[in-house]
Amino acid sequence: MNNNPILETEGLCKYWGGLKALDDISLRFHDRELHGIVGPNGAGKSTLLNLLCGHYKPTSGKIVHKGEPIDAIKPYAFARRGIGRSFQKTNIYPSATCLENCCVAVQRRMGGSFDFLRSRHRQQVLEEIASDALNKVGLSARRDQIAAHISYGEQRQLEIAMVLATSPCVLLLDEPMAGMGHEESQLIIELLKQLKQEYCIVLVEHDMDAVFELSDKLTVMVDGQHLTTGTVDQVRDDPRVREAYLGQGDEVY
Amino acid sequence: MLFNTRTERYFVWVFFPLALLMPLFLEQNTFYVSKLTTVMIFAIFVMSLDYLVGRCGLITLGHAMFYGLGGYIFVMIAPEYEAVNFWVYTFYICAIAAVVALVIGFLVLRTSGIYMIMITLAFAQMTYYYFSDSLDFGGNDGVFIYVKPDTSIFGLSLFDLDNPTHFYYLCLLSLFNTLFFFRLVIRSRFGRVIDSIQENPGRTTALGYNVFIFRLIAYTLASALGAYAGYLFTLQYGFVNPSMLAWTTSGSALVMSILGGIGTIYGAILGAVVYEGLHFSLEHLTEHWLLFMGALIILMVILFKNGIAGYLEKLLERRA
Repeated sequence: MNNNPILETEGLCKYWGGLKALDDISLRFHDRELHGIVGPNGAGKSTLLNLLCGHYKPTSGKIVHKGEPIDAIKPYAFARRGIGRSFQKTNIYPSATCLENCCVAVQRRMGGSFDFLRSRHRQQVLEEIASDALNKVGLSARRDQIAAHISYGEQRQLEIAMVLATSPCVLLLDEPMAGMGHEESQLIIELLKQLKQEYCIVLVEHDMDAVFELSDKLTVMVDGQHLTTGTVDQVRDDPRVREAYLGQGDEVY
Repeated sequence: MLFNTRTERYFVWVFFPLALLMPLFLEQNTFYVSKLTTVMIFAIFVMSLDYLVGRCGLITLGHAMFYGLGGYIFVMIAPEYEAVNFWVYTFYICAIAAVVALVIGFLVLRTSGIYMIMITLAFAQMTYYYFSDSLDFGGNDGVFIYVKPDTSIFGLSLFDLDNPTHFYYLCLLSLFNTLFFFRLVIRSRFGRVIDSIQENPGRTTALGYNVFIFRLIAYTLASALGAYAGYLFTLQYGFVNPSMLAWTTSGSALVMSILGGIGTIYGAILGAVVYEGLHFSLEHLTEHWLLFMGALIILMVILFKNGIAGYLEKLLERRA
């Protein structure tokens, strides 16, 4: 495995007033690796993801992408560098078809967004790339359906398809399995197994079984602080992790 | 297809031929012809507002600023006693209004929702009070235009602007072109981004689009066309005055756009025709026409949830 991280944070902090939502986080994310991030509620996982995708600006610290610091650039520029994210709450264009949802994503890098006269339907390449993204997540059957009319699980898949359609190098996935049934989750797990062979994935997820199954590396966060990072087995055996999740001391419930 | 709903195709096929023949029915009754001309000019203005409010999700109460500026820019740049070329000045006025819109949009579009309504209103009121207090522009009385532009292109003069019927056809042509232009823009790839921004700006940013720039361009386009409508209005009546800039002008345009069916673009024509039609017929019946007008509009908004165009679509579109 190469040692140059594709995305890196150095002493990343985010304060909300006096509250330290994220305190001194230094992590390295490598290509073709699935990096799981877990922690109890309020540990700062989502905040971290929001910082990595440029949605929030860090209070201090650095984010380095391919060797360049990027924490000062605009939110939309993160996506242009290939840092794509999916959202915890389904965040799609509900009134458009699945294909159109992906077309918006593809058009960003295909150009022509300032073309006022030519029809948006006059571009086959664009629709082919968008279809490919739908195929990858297994939604090709839903291609021409309105996004609001497909099932919740499929909307989650569409969410990932839209990120893929931007041709990212880093995928930031915020609880892609939230609110899903067992079978649907299994589908996403299979999907992520395939995707991690191509992309660098940062996965925030509450479903522990899924995270343990998928992660190449695992980071545990507690109260905005970095607790430990290691392989799944290392983390599972770490007594501090148990403490964080199960509480301190010998209280009996 | 450019006009993508059946209702809109029907509407275009019914309205424009009818409007073309209208002067023949009215038998040179100049009063009605010029009344209709005013309605069409206002429909252009409402259409540009409808694009902003209904298609871009930018609710502005200051659109009348550009309507008025269309007239005032003409007064500022045209020589007083000399006929200028209509087409050249159309270009000048739209270009200058676009530059103004670029600057104001740059400030206004940093806000959204209720704050944007307030700030656009503030800018419009500033221009209103500037022109109504300014001695250079005749204060509240406005400015008269002594010579109307001539409309020759390459020596060929199609319209005589002093002839109400000719002016009517010029406005009808402008109205059709505006509708056509907005349809083209909505169908384009730029339109795709604008649709996405209206539906979900957060996601559009996350996909890598600079939402601000797209909004700014849409705002500039719509404002330039709003100014064009104001320019036509000024030429029709031969004067500009500050009431064109008043917030009530923006307000009634917004009402027409909602009445017609917000975001449908062609609904702007329906809204303007129905609103002005009601206004005209009630005005002659009673002194307290505004009371009845208000009641009727409330009734229509309750009955037709998505405006008149929305109601027609419900009747005409095949159920999916």
